[in-house]
Amino acid sequence: MRRVLLMAGLLVAATGVARAADPGADTDRVERGRYLARAADCAACHTSEGGTPYAGGHPIETPFGTVYGTNITPDDDYGIGDYSADDFHRALTEGELPDGTQLYPAMPYTDYHGISRADSDALYAYFMSLDPVHQQSTQTDLAWPFSMRWTLNAWNWLFAPDDSDDSDESTADRGRYLVDTLGHCGACHTPRNAFGAVESDHRLEGAVIGGYEAPALTPDALAGRGWTASDLTRFLRDGRSPQGSMYSEMYPVFHHSTRYLREDDLSAMTHALLGDDPPEPTPLAAKSSTTDGQGAQLYLDNCAGCHGSDGRGVARVASAMPGNTTLRLDSPRNLVKVIHEGIEARSFGTFERVQAMPGFADDMDADQIAALATWLRQRWGGHDDTVDTAAVEDIIGASSD
Amino acid sequence: MSERDRIPSTPLHVTINGRRQPVEDVPNELMMLDYLHEYRNLTGTRYGCGIGLCRACTVIVDHEDGTSEERRTCITGAHFFEGKSIRTVEGHAERDEDGEIASLSEVQQQFLEHFSFQCSYCAPGFVNAATVLVERLQREPVAREALEDTISDALEDHLCRCTGYVRYYRAVRDAVLATPGTIKEG
Repeated sequence: MRRVLLMAGLLVAATGVARAADPGADTDRVERGRYLARAADCAACHTSEGGTPYAGGHPIETPFGTVYGTNITPDDDYGIGDYSADDFHRALTEGELPDGTQLYPAMPYTDYHGISRADSDALYAYFMSLDPVHQQSTQTDLAWPFSMRWTLNAWNWLFAPDDSDDSDESTADRGRYLVDTLGHCGACHTPRNAFGAVESDHRLEGAVIGGYEAPALTPDALAGRGWTASDLTRFLRDGRSPQGSMYSEMYPVFHHSTRYLREDDLSAMTHALLGDDPPEPTPLAAKSSTTDGQGAQLYLDNCAGCHGSDGRGVARVASAMPGNTTLRLDSPRNLVKVIHEGIEARSFGTFERVQAMPGFADDMDADQIAALATWLRQRWGGHDDTVDTAAVEDIIGASSD
Repeated sequence: MSERDRIPSTPLHVTINGRRQPVEDVPNELMMLDYLHEYRNLTGTRYGCGIGLCRACTVIVDHEDGTSEERRTCITGAHFFEGKSIRTVEGHAERDEDGEIASLSEVQQQFLEHFSFQCSYCAPGFVNAATVLVERLQREPVAREALEDTISDALEDHLCRCTGYVRYYRAVRDAVLATPGTIKEG
């Protein structure tokens, strides 16, 4: 009997050794977690500019105050070092920490709610494989009453999804999983109600966030701005396409996330966005627009040096104007913001860095920006309307005079 | 009808280095750099990258209130300068009655003494930027301890591929220190 027990003990020990000695399974899971972390764009909030990856500190401005991304490296004091896989899954998909603290919904746990347990475990394995960073996260600073975390229980009861979608990759719509759950595109592109909850019945219909418009991504809206499936896939993969380049808050999404995605996943996302039967892209209306007047001369004086007097731009330097997605948007908001503030220098891929576009806040008043925006939208955006000065002032803030 | 007449053009009124320029029709889409080179024969302003990055094409725009600013002429249309007064690298030195150079500006002299440039391609932009800085500090002096950072902030966008910037930096510092009223006392 004793020998049998001993044998059993040896067998168990041998199994344990065998499991620990099989590096393939763990490495695969960690790598899968790394990929999922990119698809879920965790770095966007949990990595501060110039900071150690996932050590927290990135400020997220919300209408209710500033929330800071936390340290999610496996540090016992300041990170998630003492989390179990269950704890991690609950924080990720329910927004609840091991001690019962409710996370603010700046953490998109309502989107992540549908993350499968297998994917959650892979993410957990990846984050636990990182070097712990002993760095305290900046404390979140919200105004009362939002500073009272207990109110979040009521928020969750009202707005958080309650049906756990145990995603089965073999049958689930991979694209929708990438767009809605991991990619949480709706966190910016779906409008939010007065309580900061996404309006799920207006999925991806566009919203204004941080002063910029996160454009509508419905099939009709995308086709209306001339997007095809191949251009959209290219845009996500390269950060650029014939319709323009990524800037503002979309650029970090490309930089941290979409450029790492596999081609089949990018195609799946595009498919999810444009639908099974993508609408025909709307051609740019042929215009016999003016080449003189204030708007035209402002363009020649300030923009044509890089974008060209014919608007064709310079490959890999300055975007082409005809059919540019920012010009085709119904609202002039993003165009006005870009003219006013410029665009920061960006890198696209390993070997390319594009210099900054200057902003013209000091050079053009609201009248001039309105004239320039009107001319650009009519010439190359397919619009007939005019952008009035009051609208520009509203967008750039009345303080600019 | 000449080729130029077929291009949409508008009369341009501009003052360069203190002189009102002859008014003539200038193509609406001409960049200022080309105007300086082709219409005024002022070739000291350099064409570098052509996309507003290197700053070799920088000139000075003088405002009526006595302030001045840099402007990149490779990406700015000639007509942006309608009614404005600018200085180019040709306008800094004192000249005698025959138009020959009599003395250099403080910035130019310091650049020579420090051997600041080698190939000189970026030098016109640096001369103009450093001059804008010195003139600003005369209006708004800084503490001595803040001078290094002030110089870096003012000139860091200008590219030089020969000298490593150290000699430019020392020359600008000395030009500032040699100019009265640029440093706050105490």
